[in-house]
Amino acid sequence: MHKQNMILRHKLFDRICHWFIVAVGLVTFLTGFAFFFPSFQWLGAIAGTPQMARFVHPIAGLMMCLPLMLMLVRYYHHNKWEKNDLTWMLAIKDVMLENEDKIPAIGHYNPGQKVLFRTFVVTSIVLTVTGFMMWQPYFAHYFASTAIEWAILLHAICAVIMLIFVIVHFWMATWVEGSVAGMLYGAVSRAWCKKHHPNMLKDPELKTIKREKH
Amino acid sequence: MSAQDIILSSGTSTLAPAAQVRKKLSKIAKLFDATKCNGCKGCQVACSEWNDLRAPIGEFTGSYQNPADLSSECWTLMKFNEVTDENDKLRWQFTHSGCMHCDDPACLTACSTKDAIVQHANGIVNIDSDKCIGCGYCVTACPFDVPKLDEIDQKAYKCTMCSDRLQVGQEPSCVKSCTTGALKFGTREDMLFIADLRIKQLHEKGFTKAGLYNPQGVGGTGMMMILHDISQPESYGLPADPKTSLPIKLWQDVVKPLGAAGIIATVAVACLHRITVGRNVVDESDNDDDSEAIDHTHPTQSDKE
Repeated sequence: MHKQNMILRHKLFDRICHWFIVAVGLVTFLTGFAFFFPSFQWLGAIAGTPQMARFVHPIAGLMMCLPLMLMLVRYYHHNKWEKNDLTWMLAIKDVMLENEDKIPAIGHYNPGQKVLFRTFVVTSIVLTVTGFMMWQPYFAHYFASTAIEWAILLHAICAVIMLIFVIVHFWMATWVEGSVAGMLYGAVSRAWCKKHHPNMLKDPELKTIKREKH
Repeated sequence: MSAQDIILSSGTSTLAPAAQVRKKLSKIAKLFDATKCNGCKGCQVACSEWNDLRAPIGEFTGSYQNPADLSSECWTLMKFNEVTDENDKLRWQFTHSGCMHCDDPACLTACSTKDAIVQHANGIVNIDSDKCIGCGYCVTACPFDVPKLDEIDQKAYKCTMCSDRLQVGQEPSCVKSCTTGALKFGTREDMLFIADLRIKQLHEKGFTKAGLYNPQGVGGTGMMMILHDISQPESYGLPADPKTSLPIKLWQDVVKPLGAAGIIATVAVACLHRITVGRNVVDESDNDDDSEAIDHTHPTQSDKE
């Protein structure tokens, strides 16, 4: 038994926010998928009936997009473009194939994660705006048919882009061992930081958690 | 008509088509002759009577047209289009407004729900309100602005061409009630023939611009109209070139297949990557003593700030 130094990567509030988005996002995507591909209408059954899916979708959508704006505020400083980011991007093949000696050192988030986060933010904003425009029966009647038609198209495009990035997000998180645990419990090991986000260790605000390891 | 007479169904793929009719059925149509209509609203009342529709009493808006617009409780509306001619004289141009029963219905294309909008072999386009989820896509898509959502149950409603009457060999109630013979009903072929004769007659009488409104942008309609002046359908409140709009076509024909391909490709790459590269595992023994970077002055037990 020895004491292991763990590093705080995600604060409690951010973790709750993240998993809340995951939960309502799942409802939003399954119900949305039911409208986008009517052959998969049964996916909307998680809301009970197709009519309920239609009612729940915009509300779940808002509950997904609004907390993301909160995360934007809280994670903004972590998502600025840094000097090693471009070389990291160019070394994407080495990243994917785990040729770790060839990967430039990066900080709290790697550029891939930054692109992902920015995409979530942009698509969320577009989905919210277009979603309001097509929201029956509350808001749609304020807009012209032509405007709603374009909103439906944009909404679909952004939803597909977001879903693809969600898949990438899920795949990367489960690929790198310790990521999901980090998002669940907030802590990652020192070795994990050294391997994946070495510059994070230079952060003056770095917090360590002493945990008994059994 | 039976359920097997459905030839187009919303929310279904052409790769897995709805049951197709094996017997050829003649397409039917209503023919409205605006040159014969005197605006008595008999058709409007007959529609509301037969379908038991009771729209709430509206307000006077300065027009003889009442109600102001089609609604879930008004499937047929006598439109009073006020037109001033060259001599500044006011003239009414009546339109028998209701579902046009398009051959290529934009509402059906846009519908998000399986089988909620269907096209029967005889050309009638119907909404199955029980299946409708109230997304309003059909309301938005219709170039004639016909389907309307009901305020109470949030489902779309519109003219059914009195499908229930047709089933027992009767004509639509609006046609039955028409006092001037402005409304006719039969096979589309017959209606086109009658329209042709009538338009020739009108041309001979000096109405040289008279013509048939049967827009090809939606593949032709099951509700055709003879107009005094076919060059100006807008003066009758009708769109000059109705069709399924570009965003709806892009959404259904481009974004859906590309989206499906993109999603499947991403999942496939992810799976391949997992199988070939495997998990990215951290060697925890690599926890050597470079602990000077760690701030030991404020060790905390919890991660709360």
